Amino acid sequence: MPPPPDVKPVIPPAKPAAAAPVPADAPEIPPISAAILNNLPPSERDVYKRVYLAGNKGMWSQDLRRATQLTTASLSKSTRALVQRGILKEVTDVRHRAKKVFMDARIEPAPEITGGTWYHNGQLDTDAVAAVRRRCLDQIDRLGAATPDMVHKGVERDDPRAGYTIDQIRDILQTMALDRVLEERKSTGEGEFSAVRAGRVCYRRGGAPQGGMMEGIPCGVCPRMDECSPDGVISPTTCVYYKKWLQMDF
Amino acid sequence: MVPQHGILLAVNLISDHFGPLVAKVCECLLRHGALPLPEIVRRVRLPRGQVKNTLLILIQHNCDEPPVTLYLAIFDNVLHRLRFSKFLAVVRADIPESEDLIEGLLQNGRLTFDQLVERTISKVQDGTIGREKIRLNFNKLVYARYVERCPKPEPFFNPLGDEEQTSARKKVQKTVEEALSLEKKVINTATLSDPERFSEIPYSMEGCTEDPPKSISGAKRKHGAFEIDEELNSTIPENEVLWRANFEKFIFCLKKKFCADRKKSKLKVGTHIIWESFFEANLTDNDTNSATSSINGILEKLGQKEGGAAMTLDQITQVLEELQCTTSTDDPEAFTFDLRQMVEACKNEEIESLVKKTYGQEAFTIFRLLAQGRPVETDQIIDTTILDKQIVHSTLYRLWKDDYIDTAEKVGSTPGTGYAQFFVWRAKSTFREKYIDNLYHAALNLRLMVNRMAELLLEGSMDETKVKNRKNVLILMLARHDDSLMLFHGYPIVRKAEHLLAKCHSYRQVADDWNG
Repeated sequence: MPPPPDVKPVIPPAKPAAAAPVPADAPEIPPISAAILNNLPPSERDVYKRVYLAGNKGMWSQDLRRATQLTTASLSKSTRALVQRGILKEVTDVRHRAKKVFMDARIEPAPEITGGTWYHNGQLDTDAVAAVRRRCLDQIDRLGAATPDMVHKGVERDDPRAGYTIDQIRDILQTMALDRVLEERKSTGEGEFSAVRAGRVCYRRGGAPQGGMMEGIPCGVCPRMDECSPDGVISPTTCVYYKKWLQMDF
Repeated sequence: MVPQHGILLAVNLISDHFGPLVAKVCECLLRHGALPLPEIVRRVRLPRGQVKNTLLILIQHNCDEPPVTLYLAIFDNVLHRLRFSKFLAVVRADIPESEDLIEGLLQNGRLTFDQLVERTISKVQDGTIGREKIRLNFNKLVYARYVERCPKPEPFFNPLGDEEQTSARKKVQKTVEEALSLEKKVINTATLSDPERFSEIPYSMEGCTEDPPKSISGAKRKHGAFEIDEELNSTIPENEVLWRANFEKFIFCLKKKFCADRKKSKLKVGTHIIWESFFEANLTDNDTNSATSSINGILEKLGQKEGGAAMTLDQITQVLEELQCTTSTDDPEAFTFDLRQMVEACKNEEIESLVKKTYGQEAFTIFRLLAQGRPVETDQIIDTTILDKQIVHSTLYRLWKDDYIDTAEKVGSTPGTGYAQFFVWRAKSTFREKYIDNLYHAALNLRLMVNRMAELLLEGSMDETKVKNRKNVLILMLARHDDSLMLFHGYPIVRKAEHLLAKCHSYRQVADDWNG
């Protein structure tokens, strides 16, 4: 049995706006600490305030330098001190891995920074994706045609510790439909769809891949097709791929 | 617009069948559209008499009044020459006794019934076949619409709408896509109505065969064509009616066969016979984009198959519905399968499959996402496909470089994050044209290789058996590759078109290979 994937907790839905002066788009972010601010020298206090205001998106070091108008050296000194004291943390932005992004240590990074649930330390967790795909496929094989809800319930019943959300399962099923491993269909409510209410979107096995009539001949996947002409330097009669294909070495 | 390699393939076909001079004239017509004779003579730089002869070979009609007659080349019909063996195989499976007759028509383009009789009797030396038997076999072909009467020999068509003299006639034999509207109009003018096209030969005709039958051998055939054209303004006698193979019907048959075979691999155990019966019971061909069979017909065919008689009506109906055969309110007893939809799906599958083979699984996933039509932003592609960012970026670049997808830069405004711009991607609208051009190019290359093998055989410098084997493999691959050509070009636009005069070629052997 594969180990459960490293799934990051999903940020709960927004609560009603609290009285505390926190950024409006992230109401769950803890209020800025006066105790911390009072203990910081002025330059570090300014840096901390600005990073705090960037919320769970964090702040790129270059943006921070422009905003605080500090030199690179003094900014890096301040940030290093704040990171060492556990007030700030450096996070990896999955889309711009080379960028240094700072964030309040108490705040959980937004999914667009971490890359969402399938990312671990800024890298795509391919093992986790493969594991959940396998589980979904097992459920589809067992059920025939199933809605994301049915697959989710099946996965949970088989392994209650797995902890996948319905959204994660839905994402994976959609990707598998793009890969043609599965086929997305609207249920007719009859035959193989009898377990699914008519009209609901469900998934079933995609069947053996078809097509590929063009690939049976050398020209089908030839990288030099654009340079090939009957009387050119590259032509079918001088073609190495054709020679190999027809085993013309007798 | 005919793709570049489509023209090269068509010219190669004509060159192989009729020689380089005819190919030269054909290429000129394919590239430049409708042209009058003096213009063709000027462009191909050949003596006028020679050009006239080549046109005669191509059109099997007298070029009566050169200054007012335009010639066009029908690209589809040139390509149909590639698949005569398949047409022959269709008739062999359906009406085997009429195979010789359809072969005669395919080889000679258009023939009168007398010519066909003479040809058939001369082929069967032992005298076991008589005129009456040939007439019966021929009528079977007409009844099944495999052959039709040729359109009016001199369609009068005036594209400018000017009040020209009635003697000003435009003759159209072959056309290119650029002149589609002109071609359509002219062909519509020339086309006979259905009862005219498929009226059988009555008994009474047997009495009026006093004229000596015209020769059908190569050179004399042209002479025969002149004679027919001299009578243009008079009513053509009944026994002078020219017949030809009805390509439209053949393409429809091949389309059905393709769809039926393609779906077979996806069928569940026990449902094959229902699917087969559905296609066997399909008799109507009013609409070439769908196949319709009555439930009674399906039941009848099913009853003849092993295990078919035991199936209940409910079972059959359920399987047919799962196979996307629909019933209409007009006729709840008949099931219709949408061939056009299936052909479209198959086209997509072919292109996607090639993308997968060339660029890998990730490219396949991304391409399928982008082929849905709406532009998708890079980050959204990463999120939707759940693929690694680096892989997505490199794949997008490769697909973009090879003209499969297109990109546009958008300026975004997400303050504080530094993302000032992002890119949206979508599949290029031209990727199909590119794919089709490659299909023609590949077919041309296969043909060139077949010819190369023939040359090697003549030279005798290599092991004869091995070269022959290679040649057969290539011929077989060409026949298979033609399925792709038909899928992308032949099936969607089935047009009524004119014939070409053909030299005698042995299509039978190719038909055997294809069936095997």
